[in-house]
Order: sequence, then C-alpha cells, then structure tokens
Amino acid sequence: MAPYGTDLVLDGMLAFGKSTIASAGSHAMPAASPRIHEVPDDLLAAIDYCYEQGWTDGLPVIPPIVDRVEAMLAIDDRPAETVIARHPATGLELSLHSAAVNAVMAGCLPEHFPVLVAAFAAMDRPDFNFHGSTASTGGSAPLLIVSGPYADEIGMNSDVNLFGPGNRPNATIGRAVRLILRNVFQMLPGISDKSTQGNPGKYSFCIDERARGNPWPLLCETQGYGGGGSSVTVFAAGGFCNVENHGGNTPEQILSSVADAMANYGCITLGQSVVVLAPEHMRIIGDAGWSREKAQDFLFTHAKRPVEGMQGVGKYRDREYDTQHGKGAHALAEKGFMHRGLVPADILITMGGGDAGGHSCFIPSWSRGRGSIMQHSPIRVPRRS
Amino acid sequence: MQLYEPTSATPRRKANRAPALASIAGLRIGILENGKLNAEEMLNEFAALFVKRHGCTVRTLASKSNASAPAPANTLLKVAQEVDFLITGLGD
Repeated sequence: MAPYGTDLVLDGMLAFGKSTIASAGSHAMPAASPRIHEVPDDLLAAIDYCYEQGWTDGLPVIPPIVDRVEAMLAIDDRPAETVIARHPATGLELSLHSAAVNAVMAGCLPEHFPVLVAAFAAMDRPDFNFHGSTASTGGSAPLLIVSGPYADEIGMNSDVNLFGPGNRPNATIGRAVRLILRNVFQMLPGISDKSTQGNPGKYSFCIDERARGNPWPLLCETQGYGGGGSSVTVFAAGGFCNVENHGGNTPEQILSSVADAMANYGCITLGQSVVVLAPEHMRIIGDAGWSREKAQDFLFTHAKRPVEGMQGVGKYRDREYDTQHGKGAHALAEKGFMHRGLVPADILITMGGGDAGGHSCFIPSWSRGRGSIMQHSPIRVPRRS
Repeated sequence: MQLYEPTSATPRRKANRAPALASIAGLRIGILENGKLNAEEMLNEFAALFVKRHGCTVRTLASKSNASAPAPANTLLKVAQEVDFLITGLGD
C-alpha cells in the first residue's frame, strides 16, 4: 500500500461515481427581502423558537422583534440593504439589515451597532481571510480591540476584568460577531467551522483599549484616525495566555516574561501577535521611557527558538513557509533562530485591565504565517440630532 | 410577535457539477496543492495511481500561496485549460 493510503482513497472515489471527479460551477442569485416569522406573543416561547431554528450560540438570545431591528438600523444612515461584508467562498452577503437582526439577538443597543459594522468592514478585507480563520481546525476567534473616544461614549470596559464578563457592549458586540458568522455566513460547528477544540473567545472576544494612564499613542491615532476618531482592530486570534510577573521591576524583566510566553514551542509560529499589557506592567515600561516601537523590537528580538529546537519538536517547516509565505518571507531574521512573526511590527502592543495585578496577556494569531493579517477600520460615529 | 430571520438574504450560490467524464483513461491530470506540509507528496502519490491504473499523464502542478483561502480565479482558469481533471486536498 502507498504510504499515504491514497490507493484506498482512489478506490473509494471511483466506486462513488464519476461525478466525484467533475468540477462545479456557480451562479450568484439576487438578494431576497428579509424573511419574517410570525410567532405567538410570548417572549419565552419566542426564545425557544430561536433555539429551534438553530439561530443561537447555545445561550438564549433576544428574539429579533421587528421594532427592535428597525431601531438598531436607524443609527446608520445608509439603506438597510447595504452590503458590508461578503463570504469569499460561498458568496453569502452581510447587509446592514442582517447585521442589525443579529445585533439585537446578541443584546446590543443601537449605539453599539457602529462598532459591529466597523468590525465587519475590517474583516471583509481579503487579507483578513475570515473564511479561513473561521473554518479552520485552528479554532480562531475574531478579537476586536476598540480604540478611541467612541468606546467611552458607549460605556465599554477597558479596565478591571477586561476580558471577563460584566460589561454589556464588550459582551454583546463580541457575541454579535459570532452570531453573524453563524447565522449569516453559516459557519456552523462541525459543518463549516471545523475547529478542533474551539476557543472560549468564540462566544465573545471584544475589548476597549485603555486610554487612562496609557503613555503611548492610542491605536486609533497610530492608524490615522486621530482628531476624535475611533477605530476597531480585528485579529484572528488563538487562545489567551496569561503572563504573570509580580517581581519584575524593569522593562527588560517584564517584557522577557512576555517574550517567553510568545516563544513557547506550542505557540511559536511566523504569525502576528497581540500583547495587552496590564497597567502595572505598562507603568514600569512607560516610566523607563520606552516607546511602543522599542518594546516591539525587544519582544521580537527575544521571542525566538533555535532552529534545532524547532526541528526537535517537528515544527520547523522550511518548505512550507517557503511555499505559503512568498519569496523571502520565510528567511530567518537571525541565523539559527526562528522568531515569532516576521518583523517587530507584527506584534501589536497595547494596554488594558485593572490597576492592580501583574497580569498581562499574549494572544497568538490563528495563522502560522500570513494566512490572516490583522485589519482596522474607522467607526462611523452616528450624527447627533 | 414578528421576528426577522437572522440569516443572509442572499440565496446560496447554485453549485452545479460539470458533466461527468465518460472515461478517465489517458486523460491529463492537474494537481492543486495548498502549500501545507505533505500536501505535494500526498497528491503526487495520488496522481501516480491514476497514471499507473488509467494511463493518465500529470500535466500541471499549481500551488496556493494561502492554504486557507480559495484558489485565485486565474489559477483555476489557467489549470482548466491545460488538464481534463484536477485533484486537490489538504496537507498537514
């Protein structure tokens, strides 16, 4: 038998029929009007009805009553049928209307809606590759980092229990992302979402960048949305890794512990990274006069493993990187070592969390290389009457 | 109570299979590999069975630069002109 068992696979294909080896064509169809379901005037029964339709993430949803959806849509001045994202493989489209339906179901208020819309505008960019990141065995969750004054305006949390429960916009905007992926784009667990283990962030993964006490320019400013603008950054994220350090008192000590987490053999790849520094850690780094760029350089320099160690665990795949990442992209930044990411700018660093505690975090990318690149988009702040 | 359906109003694309090949004997094979570890090895081995059993010839090896994204349309158009059928699959 051939080592990959391909002879058995071929036997099965030919037995199944010749149509298996035929190619497929496709045709786009015009959009239909949103469908309305008539249900009894009983809220609990309506919640059960949503379960029965397969519209939930496993938790109860707010039934998407027509009036609530219309109120959600009223905050955006564009026509409800405006398409804000398209699935690259199936052609399914996300309109403002269907986004609003899912936002209601997730528990969003109308003022949360512009953040959700901006997130999908960013995810719609080809480089984000949201089909791959949501279908893959890697179990990615889109992490949303909201930056700028609009987050404060709608009461988002950038402080204590940053990634935990308790704040409505953080929880419901992140949840609405998942409901849209499920209901609109049909990324269904076990069918089109093939996550091996998934990720708790797939329920909701949305934070606000902390401005208070932050010595660095906010992300929205570095992204060119300054002057009162706000933004959402989206990142196809893997699982969350806590970085505890209560004894370090220098930037080198704090960032060395972060770099070590970034370079563990389970996590290290050529993919991008997100690091959210706790205020306690950021104070040490900021007081020493370190800029974001200096911290990025330090992390990139120290988040590395020797090639022979990578080979030892079977993770050094030179030819794979060569094929997937383009000419030169796989080149080692330092002879004999593989670093996390390709360049220091692959590491997004910001601040968040409560004042007390030496707990920062590192969040690896789903992609092992350039399969998904983080994106950002401005938030269209609604006009005030 | 009236509820809006939360699914996309865009109908799913209608996918149609191409007409089945009457015979695969002596046909030209294309291989589309996704760039992941072992993909090329596995598909080459698979193609070799078509060659051995059915007298096919391997004409084209195309590679995707992003394993998790759909193959670019120009890659598929080019391959379609050169081969009678295409085999592909996941590596890793």
